[in-house]
Amino acid sequence: MSGTGESSNVGAGPSRQPQKPPVKNPPVVTPGSGSNIIVNQRQRKNPLLECIKHGREFGDIVADFQVGRTTGILFLSLKYHRLHPEYIAQRIDGLGTSYNLRILLILCDIPEHQEAIRELTKKCLINNFTIIVAWSNDEAGLYISSYKKLEHRPPTMIKERVDKDYSSIFRSALTSISKVNKTDVETLRSSIGVWSLSDLAGVPLL
Amino acid sequence: MSTLLPFHVSITDKLCDPANSDLLLLAHGLGLRRIVCKLLQIYHSSQSLVCLVNASSEEENGIGEELNLLGCRSPGFTIIGFEIDKKARQELYRRGGIFSVTSQILIVDMLQSTLPTEMITGIMILHAERVSALSQEAFIVRLLREKNEVAFVKALSDQPEYITSGLAPLRNVVKELRVQHVYIYPRFHDEVKQTLEKKRIDVIQLLQGLTESMKEIHGAIIQCINSTMSELKRSHTNLDLDDLNVDNAYFRSFDAIVRRQLDPVWHKVGPRTKQLVADLATLRRLLTYLLAYNAVAFLGYLDTIQAANSVTTARGAANYQSPWLLTDQAGTIFREGKRRCYSLTTTKQVLDAQLDEDEEAWEALDEIQSIVGGRIAGQGNKQPVWPKGLEPILEEQPKWARLVDILNEIEEEIRSQQISDTPGTNTILVMTATSQSAATVSEYLSTCDRNLQPGERGRVMMERKLRGYLSWRAKLAEIQGSNKQNDRADTNRHAQGTTAISAALLKKDQEKAKRAASRRRVRGGAPDASGPTRAGATSATAVEEEDFIGLLSCDQDFDMNYGLVQPEETVIVRAYSDDSDDMMLMELRPRFVVMFDPSLEFLRRMEVYRSSNPGLPLRIYFLMYEECSEEHKYLLGLRREKNAFTRLIEEHAKMPIYLGDARTESASSDVMIKTISTRFAGGKREISQVPSRVIVDMREFRSSLPSILHASKLQLIPTTLTVADYVLTPDICVERKSIPDLVSSFNSGRLYTQCELMSVHYKHPLLLIEFEEHKSFSLEVHVTEARPYAKGKGKFPSKVPTNVPEYIPTLQEKIVMLTLAFPRLRIIWSSSAHATAEIFNDLKLNNPEPDPERAVLLGAEENLEVDGGANAVAEELLRSLPGITEKNVKHVMGKVPSIKEFCQLELAQVQEVIGVNPGKSCYDFMHHGDRGGTGSTP
Repeated sequence: MSGTGESSNVGAGPSRQPQKPPVKNPPVVTPGSGSNIIVNQRQRKNPLLECIKHGREFGDIVADFQVGRTTGILFLSLKYHRLHPEYIAQRIDGLGTSYNLRILLILCDIPEHQEAIRELTKKCLINNFTIIVAWSNDEAGLYISSYKKLEHRPPTMIKERVDKDYSSIFRSALTSISKVNKTDVETLRSSIGVWSLSDLAGVPLL
Repeated sequence: MSTLLPFHVSITDKLCDPANSDLLLLAHGLGLRRIVCKLLQIYHSSQSLVCLVNASSEEENGIGEELNLLGCRSPGFTIIGFEIDKKARQELYRRGGIFSVTSQILIVDMLQSTLPTEMITGIMILHAERVSALSQEAFIVRLLREKNEVAFVKALSDQPEYITSGLAPLRNVVKELRVQHVYIYPRFHDEVKQTLEKKRIDVIQLLQGLTESMKEIHGAIIQCINSTMSELKRSHTNLDLDDLNVDNAYFRSFDAIVRRQLDPVWHKVGPRTKQLVADLATLRRLLTYLLAYNAVAFLGYLDTIQAANSVTTARGAANYQSPWLLTDQAGTIFREGKRRCYSLTTTKQVLDAQLDEDEEAWEALDEIQSIVGGRIAGQGNKQPVWPKGLEPILEEQPKWARLVDILNEIEEEIRSQQISDTPGTNTILVMTATSQSAATVSEYLSTCDRNLQPGERGRVMMERKLRGYLSWRAKLAEIQGSNKQNDRADTNRHAQGTTAISAALLKKDQEKAKRAASRRRVRGGAPDASGPTRAGATSATAVEEEDFIGLLSCDQDFDMNYGLVQPEETVIVRAYSDDSDDMMLMELRPRFVVMFDPSLEFLRRMEVYRSSNPGLPLRIYFLMYEECSEEHKYLLGLRREKNAFTRLIEEHAKMPIYLGDARTESASSDVMIKTISTRFAGGKREISQVPSRVIVDMREFRSSLPSILHASKLQLIPTTLTVADYVLTPDICVERKSIPDLVSSFNSGRLYTQCELMSVHYKHPLLLIEFEEHKSFSLEVHVTEARPYAKGKGKFPSKVPTNVPEYIPTLQEKIVMLTLAFPRLRIIWSSSAHATAEIFNDLKLNNPEPDPERAVLLGAEENLEVDGGANAVAEELLRSLPGITEKNVKHVMGKVPSIKEFCQLELAQVQEVIGVNPGKSCYDFMHHGDRGGTGSTP
């Protein structure tokens, strides 16, 4: 739910039952199947939709975006939250215990975000939500589509990597010492050659 | 023992009253250390406990030495470091005396009551210019004042130009340190002036011009700086980058200016901008090296820059060719840099201009190298032979010739005087900017032939350096070749060839070294400066390269300086250092000093030295390059210091008087209101006597968050945590990541492991993403990066194949991945440390307190004796070695005392520590390098 460009929903949104399907455009889908992001009807006019670079369809779901079998996203613009602080509580309640990974995607579009984020952090901790903050519709869209895209990807890209070629390990090892840069590494390597840290100053471990 | 001048005495008089807290700002080089030592001597007794904070290790040693001379022996001056464990520290504190403690340890000790706050007599803070609201010194003072109102705080600084932050910089410092009086002593202070100008020093200023090619390089570098800077401005039009001009670019603080301007958006700028900023630093370094290094070393540095730029990082990301390397000016720099060393007059096709880019050229140089080796081996001990077509030019630094002239003049003078009833020695002291150039100068002096024309005297040394350079260059080419997966057998054969030659050469070198007689006794030289040695053998050149690339450590020549050589008629070459120069002057008592590089600070020291040694005829020769960055830098430095003082004096005049601390009283009433608040169960709730507690990992005390948490009335319990950084409640733990941390720990995969651990042990693992105050609260990447300005790009579109980088996940995608992998992980997005403190307080509300004992035990396999915040750098370095992972790094650190010793372990021992396979890969990495893969074990 966004505060901008969704005039029809702004007033009614919070009070409407999330389960109630809309009258027109009845796209019947079974949530969780297929490669599309399933979007809640109430987000139909959200300008954010334009920024999601991924296939999407409207469906009858409790969350705003369903990006996987067990992943649901609620969207909240802080501007809207400032006007209707009770809205998000209702949506969170409406979600019940569905979804394994529950995301609250916050669009940070006001300068005084500190208080709101603090309060939402607490609320989300209690309700098992994970907060993601985006600063523009584009970024929010990127988050949503990445969730879908990475749904079945193993987490190798953020795991510890092992075994690269000698020179890159050598370089990363030496540059981990502050004040040593790439150029220095080349100098050391060409003049000393093999890793012989005993030649350098002995760094005490403790 | 250093004598105190009248103004030193009056400063000490004002400062020494232990009932007051004061701040002293002194000009550079006026002998702050004497004052520190005098004060410490006054406070020294077994009944008192004085903590010295912020001293660097050199300062600690210097002060310790001087205090020893002043007779402070029992209980004496103790340096407390990480290696002393908690019990021993407690024992030491009980004995009293003076302690030099790092602020991190002091904070932890005060929080843990290892050091009872009531026991502290006073705290002396060096480098007061670094104090800010979030700094650790401010935290220390706050902790001290909580329980101890009588202890004094003496803050001292001799770099007042750094007190510049904010609208009222001085007031901020005064407020944070809670001092009552501020004393400002610039050089133009009346007392200082009277003392120092009673006896003026005799300075002979000599301006030296640059050579033609140096001028050309100098101009080209300035142009490169300019274009890089305008490029930077162009890509960030929205920023106020007016401060960016060449004048500022001379100073090291320039990087700080650039960073301060870009900081609000730093984590959002693309790799291009980062490259530009790094380039500016490189160019500034080039500028100093041009004046400081000899021609060959400078060329060597240029080559390393090129080599480093041609290496492609494995990740493929963030590897942009520095734009300045593509300009014409860069061409000039490289061409002239080479012309200063040698020229190639080969008929062998196009060997000159594109020597650097061409693969063939590398090979050609290889060939040249082997010719050098071959010729030398064949012809034996005759004139140096250069590869065919290579004409050594070997331009010398113009200052060198000047220096020899000056030394001649001084010697003349010494001879004509003869009478030695004047105080002081005939030692000639030559001061240079860095220990590296000190080594070069002393090597030059030991080898130069004074009978030759100026400009050719150091021929022997330069030729040696050039030979070293050539063989080093061949080696560099070899490395690059192997980087590109060249034929390995070929390089091996090459290596074998050189070692065969080297055996024969070494013998000759030794003979020659024996015969080498120095014309002049020179101390403080490079270790191998005994005479011209023949290079060409890899083993022999290793030592040489070390000194010309700048690895020569300070200690070496320090030892040599204080060796037992007769003080008469010697030349001592030293680099400027800090206040310990005063001690050195006292010991040497030279009458002639040559300042090879300009230094305002040292000039002041000379004034102080002159005034404290009445009757000593002191003459100073002051050498400076004319019309170049060196001169500008010196003059600008003068002006900056003066301006800084004027500003501070003005502010001090207008500053309100600081009276006590109003916060403590108001704070206590605040707590009162909080505890009887009707919000909690209508005021009926039991008032808990214990304040809210947070368990904090030792290592976190480097950041400012603990200080802010403490200010927000949370009680901190410092311990060593294996899992997480903060524990808020029995269920909630927090891993704090600043943005750069976040990026790097995603890259290293460390974050994944940390989250894994947290998820295992806690119900609510939290990841705190902390943005910095004043920096933008956003992760978005700038998409409006300007296009590269090098015009040449259009001409050769196909030459550099745009090797499409492998898919690089954005930070956002990594965060997504992390939450997918750990659905229970919650993320706190905090815009500043203050916001974090509020969130923490919020999360702790109505929750039970955490149990420190349980938190410490979680995840710890053994109860290792890791105390006081382990060395993070060493840990990081260890972690990057193959075979060592996040999980066993702590174990290794528990077993091995230092990295040095870890490197010296035998294979079996390494395997014992980290297991058979990882042990092997780690050992191979450390001891066999590239060839480790062949699987040979010694």
